[in-house]
Amino acid sequence: MSKPNMPIILETQNLTHVFPDGTVAIKDINLQIHAGEFVIVAGANGSGKTVLLRHLNGLIRPTKGKVLLEGEPISKNIIAARKQIGLIFQDSDSQIVGQTVAEDVAFGPENLRLPPEEVNRRVKTYLEVVGLSKLAQQSPHVLSGGEKRKLAVAGVLAMQPKIIMFDEPFTGLDYPGVVQVLRQLVSLHQSGHTIILVTHELEKVLAHADRLIIIYRGKIVEDGTPEEIIGRSEQYGVRMPLGENERVDAMTWLK
Amino acid sequence: MAQIVLFHYFPRNSILHKMDGRVKLICMILFSVAISLVQSIPSFIILTASLILITLLAARLPLITLLKDMKYFSFLILIILLVNSFVIPGRPIPGFPLPGVTVEGVMTGLIASWRLVLIIMVCAVMTGTTSLITLKNVVEWYLRPIPLVPETRIATMINLTFVFIPVIFDTVSEMLSAQKARCVEGRRNPLKRIMFIAFPLLVQTFRRTEELILAMEARCYSDDRTRAVFATTAKDWLILAFTVLFLAFILFYSF
Ligand SMILES: Nc1ncnc2c1ncn2[C@@H]1O[C@H](COP(=O)(O)OP(=O)(O)OP(=O)(O)O)[C@@H](O)[C@H]1O
Ligand SMILES: [Mg+2]
Repeated sequence: MSKPNMPIILETQNLTHVFPDGTVAIKDINLQIHAGEFVIVAGANGSGKTVLLRHLNGLIRPTKGKVLLEGEPISKNIIAARKQIGLIFQDSDSQIVGQTVAEDVAFGPENLRLPPEEVNRRVKTYLEVVGLSKLAQQSPHVLSGGEKRKLAVAGVLAMQPKIIMFDEPFTGLDYPGVVQVLRQLVSLHQSGHTIILVTHELEKVLAHADRLIIIYRGKIVEDGTPEEIIGRSEQYGVRMPLGENERVDAMTWLK
Repeated sequence: MAQIVLFHYFPRNSILHKMDGRVKLICMILFSVAISLVQSIPSFIILTASLILITLLAARLPLITLLKDMKYFSFLILIILLVNSFVIPGRPIPGFPLPGVTVEGVMTGLIASWRLVLIIMVCAVMTGTTSLITLKNVVEWYLRPIPLVPETRIATMINLTFVFIPVIFDTVSEMLSAQKARCVEGRRNPLKRIMFIAFPLLVQTFRRTEELILAMEARCYSDDRTRAVFATTAKDWLILAFTVLFLAFILFYSF
């Protein structure tokens, strides 16, 4: 299922981050992600997943090692890298900057200095893509949890990134909310985006992934197809979904 | 808090809603200046009548509801009345039990209060017909030619303030409920109780701010952003010309 014949789009070399208080959040992470891949990163609380994602678009600088986007270090042109690599935060509340839904989606494109007509066009397009067009003039503050997450997705899509990273997108969502986000994920993947998804709720999404990576105490301990790895996940604090004999294909909340 | 509608935006489809915000702001300032300068009672009545007509017809705002919210200013108005009545020298009111109150004083006090109410109405018409986004863009536009003023940053600050206010209110009410659930009412010392809210709120707000900064960075925030476009139509100029003529006429006859 993985896509070794596609070019490598994102790569990390010996990525290590030590916080000032001495916490080693990630250590010697070597990763190669191919264009169009759907990668799930799983791991227990505090294993370093969020820290890893934030290195990939340059929000945190590594203590050691580097991140390469299409072969070029992202530190060379960090703005260009962030334009290519969208990140949807764990807490969607804290990434809302607009007073209305439409204005929030416009924030990214405006930062890229796109002409106003293009900004408006993108706002319209991507609100439609996530199904929030009707709420365009609402205050984001009154949206439901699922709608907020969709808004965050629209805000990232409006910058037209190639790679989209999701940090725990299912937290706090009810069943319909999870299904909506899942649909979004799958359709983004189908339209050619590279998806990196951090979660430990494997039973909701694993069937759609090409690849599963398990992080344990800041290190990659497993990396391969979901079928290979799923049986060994529990020793790293990631609950194995469903029964022992369950097939990976069944691990999705999409019918 | 949530019940006050005085300075709220009312989405409507009126002449004033469709006006260029920059021209509207000038008209509003002119109106305020005229209100502060006007002297004679007939001019006052004409100004008041025209303001009522503007609110109802040109702005299509709910005048009665807005006037009801004037009660929040009643204390201020009372003080203006009292101070003026006692301080301004003149003839005592015949038959009035309190000494020191003068006819001239009461008249000046009434006129000053009348002025205040009219100016509040002008502001309410402005905020009622202009969305915060437009208001922010207008402020940014007027600041742009002033050297050394980082207009984009000021606009972003205004914007983020309005985004954060509901978030902070929610956080406080959530923390209050959580502490009530743990019987905070058992504590007698009100200072202690304020501390129980203030410190966690501060910590929460800083944490959120930090996340927000990262989220803005992830979406390529820069001061060099797409600028808002304003369109001034012939109608705007016509309204401005009419406002100037009308106010000049009133002021001319007022002296
Ligand atoms: N600013 C910081 N200063 C010090 N240590 C930090 C900081 N941010 C994170 N850490 C530590 O780094 C480690 C990895 O944190 P990270 O947030 O990446 O975990 P995570 O895998 O995302 O966990 P979760 O599933 O809870 O989101 C944790 O031990 C955490 O305590
Ligand atoms: Mg995390």
